[in-house]
Amino acid sequence: MSNHFIPPVVRTVILPRLAQAVMVALLVGVLTFILVRSLPGDMAYRIAAGRYGYDMVDTAAADAVRRELGLEQPALTALGSWLWDILRLDFGNSLISGAPVIKEIVHQFGATVELSLAAVLLSLLIGPPLGVLAGLRPGGWLDRVLLVVSSGLRSLPAFVLGLLLIILLAREFGWFPAAGHGSASNLALPALTLALGLAAVSARVARDAMLGVAQSPYYAFGRTKGLSERQVFARHGMRNVAVPIVTYLGVQFVYLIEGVVVVESLFAWPGIGHALVHAIFARDVPMIQGTALVMGLMFVVLNTGVDLACRWLDPRVARA
Amino acid sequence: MSTLLVAEDVAVFSSHLLVHPASLTLQAGRPFTILGETGSGKSLLAQAIMGTLPRGLRAEGRVTVGDQRLDLASGQGHRALWGRTLGVLPQEPWLALDPTMRARKQVEEGYRLVRGLPAVQSRIRASADLAALGLGNAGDKLPSELSGGMAQRVAFIAARAGGARIVIADEPTKGLDVFRRDEVIALLLKEIEDGGGLLTITHDLELARQMGGDIAVVLEGQIIEQGPAADVLGAPRHDYTKRLIAADPSAWPERNAAPKRSAGVKPVLTAAGLAKTRGGQLLFENRDLTVLPGEIVGITGPSGCGKSTFGDILLDLVTPDAGTVTRAEGVARVRFQKLYQDPPAAFPQKVPIRRALNDLVRLHGLDGSRIAPLLERLRLSPGLLDRLPTQVSGGELQRFALLRVLLLDPVFLFADEPTSRLDLITQQETVELLAEVARERNCAVLIVSHDAELIRKMSDRQIAFGSPPDAAALAA
Amino acid sequence: MAADLSLPLVAERSFWSTQRIIGVALLAAIVAFAFVTPFVFDGSPTRQSLRNVLGAPTVLEPLGYDHLGRSMLARMSAALRLSLGLAFLSVITAAVPGIALGILAAWKGGWTDRLISLVADAFLALPGLLLVLMFIAIVQDAPWALYVGISLVLWIEYFRLTRSITRALVLSPAVQASQLLGFGPLYIVRRHIWPEIAPLVLTVGAFGAASAIAAIAALSFVSVGVRPPTPELGLMMTELLPYYHEAPHALLQPVVAVFLLILSLNLIAGSNSR
Repeated sequence: MSNHFIPPVVRTVILPRLAQAVMVALLVGVLTFILVRSLPGDMAYRIAAGRYGYDMVDTAAADAVRRELGLEQPALTALGSWLWDILRLDFGNSLISGAPVIKEIVHQFGATVELSLAAVLLSLLIGPPLGVLAGLRPGGWLDRVLLVVSSGLRSLPAFVLGLLLIILLAREFGWFPAAGHGSASNLALPALTLALGLAAVSARVARDAMLGVAQSPYYAFGRTKGLSERQVFARHGMRNVAVPIVTYLGVQFVYLIEGVVVVESLFAWPGIGHALVHAIFARDVPMIQGTALVMGLMFVVLNTGVDLACRWLDPRVARA
Repeated sequence: MSTLLVAEDVAVFSSHLLVHPASLTLQAGRPFTILGETGSGKSLLAQAIMGTLPRGLRAEGRVTVGDQRLDLASGQGHRALWGRTLGVLPQEPWLALDPTMRARKQVEEGYRLVRGLPAVQSRIRASADLAALGLGNAGDKLPSELSGGMAQRVAFIAARAGGARIVIADEPTKGLDVFRRDEVIALLLKEIEDGGGLLTITHDLELARQMGGDIAVVLEGQIIEQGPAADVLGAPRHDYTKRLIAADPSAWPERNAAPKRSAGVKPVLTAAGLAKTRGGQLLFENRDLTVLPGEIVGITGPSGCGKSTFGDILLDLVTPDAGTVTRAEGVARVRFQKLYQDPPAAFPQKVPIRRALNDLVRLHGLDGSRIAPLLERLRLSPGLLDRLPTQVSGGELQRFALLRVLLLDPVFLFADEPTSRLDLITQQETVELLAEVARERNCAVLIVSHDAELIRKMSDRQIAFGSPPDAAALAA
Repeated sequence: MAADLSLPLVAERSFWSTQRIIGVALLAAIVAFAFVTPFVFDGSPTRQSLRNVLGAPTVLEPLGYDHLGRSMLARMSAALRLSLGLAFLSVITAAVPGIALGILAAWKGGWTDRLISLVADAFLALPGLLLVLMFIAIVQDAPWALYVGISLVLWIEYFRLTRSITRALVLSPAVQASQLLGFGPLYIVRRHIWPEIAPLVLTVGAFGAASAIAAIAALSFVSVGVRPPTPELGLMMTELLPYYHEAPHALLQPVVAVFLLILSLNLIAGSNSR
């Protein structure tokens, strides 16, 4: 009933994705809460030691940490205030550096966005065009080469691919720096690593989509209507091939987020993924919470973008 | 009368010969129909003429269109004719329209890109075409928002927007009910009136009859008979054509008087005051039905009128909005059975038929030795038992479905369009067997079909759906 | 007739495709290497010998030594046993409840379906590796955390697949016909649902195992998964990367192993799915 008052784009895209964002926050919140509750007894003491140095630690400092983490409250109350803090984007201070988590994350987030955008754009430049060309001539030499290359790339986890690129392009040929941040050449290897992994899959998706479209009755009908091959592709091919490629990007973002975590660590790229791994290693709960939440929300935002792109590309979705 | 298209010695090969050399001549203003069963090669013949054979097949022979002479073996030259001279009406128009493009644009591109008209004029002509066929409001719709009939008309206009004078229609009535079919026939015939050419490929005898003009009958990749439709269909010479015409329900012998409905016999099933709504639309209300042992009751009506739903309610597969169904007391539930429209969809897909039957025998502790005589009675080869449901023909599988329910000694059988996916000759065999076996075993049958003639010839009593309930029920 | 008779052959060939056979053979070879080596070669994956540091392959030690002079052969086979074992265990743990819940949700529909689907959606809200990372932070013992975390991510795919297939089947004429003939739910699962799901379970399982192996290696590579001195493929890459110039053969061994392992599983999964 109330559907009349809600624009369709809000009902079919924004609201479900908002629900997903809430789900992410809840999941991260509850898991980090369990984490902080399962910390061994002297954890507060150790954290305090990590922060102020062993000589400076006293019971008061440990108690301060305990209070900061809400360790002395009853479980349910603690969970409530824990989630409330998340809702207010109050993640507290890093247990290691003592700086506010939000401040550290803002800085790292920029680096991660830079890397992710570069990787996705690069992959879209490599994958779909090659896939479409292969799909137009199934069984041709490009199709066969692409199949072998993409099968090979898909059998290499992102960090192994990155490792091989370091060995090959940084150590053997010395074309790019293996690690660091700041210049464009620093971006090249990590972005290429992620882009190759993404392109290996999007090329296959594009190839299968193109093949399906080229064999479809509407493609054949376009030809017998009298359109030239170029006209059929432009009018009935492109849009129909683009829809599954963009839709599948949503699935690929899982690979992207997971890849960011590992690839940033490999290339010492100062982003969120790198920070998350560090925080886990050091059991820095507020940092774990902040970084995991931001990565999860980034995943949601990227998927929202895919949904919106699909609506724009595919009029069927907009009408549904 | 001028000749539009001449095909000479057109043959189709894969690794072996699929369509024997065939010749035909298409005259302006005179329809030409190629008639044949599924798999007879009639579509391949048409595709060879159009130049749209699937990959891996090759053609031989010559096609002359106007002053253009094409050598089919070269596989070239068709492209320039498509849209401009030859218009191809696709088999399933719903699938042949680009799902992401609005209807008018799909028509417009013929005017604009094929005929080379300016954009504004193309748009005006496309809108006019749509309006002329009652699609004035459909221009901005996507194919998924069109009904099957509307999609058919949009495809028809789009196929001709490039200016083609010759239309080739491949199975234009596939999957349509009688009412829709007549609409399509009228549409095609209108095309002929002003001197166009029309080549229709069909399995539908009635379509061929209504088209008139010339006809060629295809069997196993060969034209077995060819000539004016009135001659070929009126006085068939070839044995197959004779059987085909005899298998049409309108040619079936009239049934002898129905067995007497003796008073005092308890009904196997009684329905009272049934009503059902679907998607906010009333399908039927106040429907009563009493089925006596061994009688055959037929239901007919257009698709979507709720006739199948009615049968499902009797079997308790669908809950009615109102009304009751009472079954004969003391009769096991499994003795009320159903035959399905699509035989392969009614068997477990990945289980050989023998195992499916043995499962049933074991479940109900039946006598497995009854299968052999039933096979013989239903003219089924025992060798078929070890195949998967997808590996036997539709007619055979429907008889296996009948065999399966007969094992349970049914008292009532709901046959839901049991032959609508079968060819004419197979349809007649299947329906005859169904009626015979039901009589032998005193099993009542409720048969649903969109084919009023089939229902009239086969049943003791008929019920018509799709019109007001009070006027519909009539006893034979 | 001839066409009809060849149908069963075609059906079988499409399941046992050439690439699937190659994949199975490759996986079998890796499994054999991992589990037979300890019986043939007598070596400990943790025993160090300083005079053999980064030693080249010899007849007695066909894979050479690592930076602490440990036998690469013993370490590689132990690392493969760990990856294969964890992956296999995770896949089984995910498949059984995933399939059962999928059938249950599709069959019951209504609130049962909505509730289970909500749980699945909740797990899908976050990329799997993040979930596994959080588990690692909570659970002290890394292999156990990996096992639980990966299983919790993998079950969803089985659930969604089974649910969508079952949902279509439950409404199909074939199942309706079987119910009319008097068959119960168990029969319908055995004859209708399972035969449709089974080939896909293999595909999903192979993909699941591949992503489990990749996740274990990736997390250990960034030092939050399996801890030293346990031999693990990703961890070995981290340890051996600094010695790439002295002993490229040592670094390349775990790289090649991960590649072949995932390749074999992808080949088994088949090319028509991603």
